[in-house]
Amino acid sequence: MPGRAPRFLWPFAIAVYALLLAPLVVVIAVSFGSSSTFDFPPRGLSLRWYRAFFSSETFVRSFFRVSQVIGLSTALVATVVGALAAIGLVRLRFRGRQAVETFFLSPLVVPHILLGAAVYLYLARLAWPTSSITLLLGHIVIATPYVIRCVTAGLVGMDPRLEEAAMSLGCSRAQAFVKVTLPLLRSSLVTGAVFAFIISFSDINLALFLAGPGAPSLPVHIFAQIQFEADPSIAAASALQIVIVGGLILLVQRLFRLRLMV
Amino acid sequence: MERAEPMERAGRSPAWALFVGPYGIYLLVFLVLPFANVALLSVYLHSPTKIAVAEFTGANYAKLWEAYYFTLFLRTLRLSLIVTVLCAVLGLPLAYLLARSTSGIKTLGLFLLIMPLMVSTVIRVFGWVVILGNEGLVNQALRLLGAEEGLRLLYTEGAVVLGLSQQSLPFMVLPIMAAIERISPSLEEAAQNLGASWGQMFARVILPLSMPGLVSGALLVFSVSMSAFITPALMGGRKGRMVGQQIYEEVLTAYNWPGAASLTIILSALMLTLVGLALWTTRRRARLEMAR
Repeated sequence: MPGRAPRFLWPFAIAVYALLLAPLVVVIAVSFGSSSTFDFPPRGLSLRWYRAFFSSETFVRSFFRVSQVIGLSTALVATVVGALAAIGLVRLRFRGRQAVETFFLSPLVVPHILLGAAVYLYLARLAWPTSSITLLLGHIVIATPYVIRCVTAGLVGMDPRLEEAAMSLGCSRAQAFVKVTLPLLRSSLVTGAVFAFIISFSDINLALFLAGPGAPSLPVHIFAQIQFEADPSIAAASALQIVIVGGLILLVQRLFRLRLMV
Repeated sequence: MERAEPMERAGRSPAWALFVGPYGIYLLVFLVLPFANVALLSVYLHSPTKIAVAEFTGANYAKLWEAYYFTLFLRTLRLSLIVTVLCAVLGLPLAYLLARSTSGIKTLGLFLLIMPLMVSTVIRVFGWVVILGNEGLVNQALRLLGAEEGLRLLYTEGAVVLGLSQQSLPFMVLPIMAAIERISPSLEEAAQNLGASWGQMFARVILPLSMPGLVSGALLVFSVSMSAFITPALMGGRKGRMVGQQIYEEVLTAYNWPGAASLTIILSALMLTLVGLALWTTRRRARLEMAR
């Protein structure tokens, strides 16, 4: 292959990646520091800020009780609702199908800060106080399109003859779907669920409006801490988030063509 | 035994409502109605004591012509455009490289591109605060090089542009990469065999053919930047204020809900107009090319 991708592009690409990853690398480094300021490079290594994180009641609550629980619940609901929608969109023919698909994917392009404000004002009109439940309701809106995309891609790539074969061997349509198609969709479903979790787990713009005063999610708590009293336990909390998100993406990259997600 | 129905016939049954219904209804209740409520609220009268009174007025929109809001919108537009151009300049070569690299490098490259995108915005911004702060990495380096005083990097428009570009760069790279992957490498070879340098080939072959990817990337980056909140709030200070912050504050601290609603409507309208315009011009261009 002659003369493709000239060499001078490589240093450029490495510089762009350095820019892209710099904030994450710095956060992880600071979290292992030993002084109480944000030193980078850290002057000494310690796990002090991880201990501080795990002994802070608000951090532990926002991480385990709020962000994790809402993330898992979002993943569960979004996967069921999104998979149903995707199956309906791919397998069934009905009038306005194209419009419905556009509508279903529209939360991907609605700015989250505007959606957060809009849902907040709507709940206020209904006199419904914000809490973890309202945050979950908001996260389902923005996470489900990711599941729809994954499952749609999985269904489109599947050979319809497999299901037909099962039916010709005596399965009903529903049986063929459950016994043949669903197992083949497993990796799409897992990928969709993981992305739904990540979207919920990382979201701040909806959470700022909908999390409710008593139960900030982890990003909201980090945001408040950065504004007021900053100590490196924020870095520990952030590093944990980076590791969880990175690990999950590594996991789904093995299952699925990742680029379809953005 | 039940006879298996042909797919098409089963497909025409009203079963689709069972599949598509749940999320459809959900979106009506939690997406359409909230924005309809915002539209209604935006023409309500603001009252300092009762927040919003159901009397129709155009005052919330008229107010946006005041110098303060006008500057705010102009700055938001200007910074978003700068970010979009910067992302295009940084993203195009990277997208090309990823599209044309071996699958191992591509996998790694995609992971390193998507991972930062999925980490919470607030964490990425926090990283920048540590890097750009008065005692941050850049200023330490400057002092090592002998600078007397550190630079004030944080709380400037430049900081906001840097932060937003880092956050939205993947949105630019991914669609361009997809577009370049569809361009046959033999086209590049043909251009180069006919005497074009690599730069000429890139400008005359790759760039025009990757235009659809570039446009959708630019639209994504632009809309992410237009509605940014966390980045200007933590990195912009007074100099880098953007519309997203104004909306947040009018809802949660100033309790001027009709004001926030009119800002939301105008920002959405502005974004939709620009997105529509961009799509229209590219379609028109494509048609003109075909006619030629």
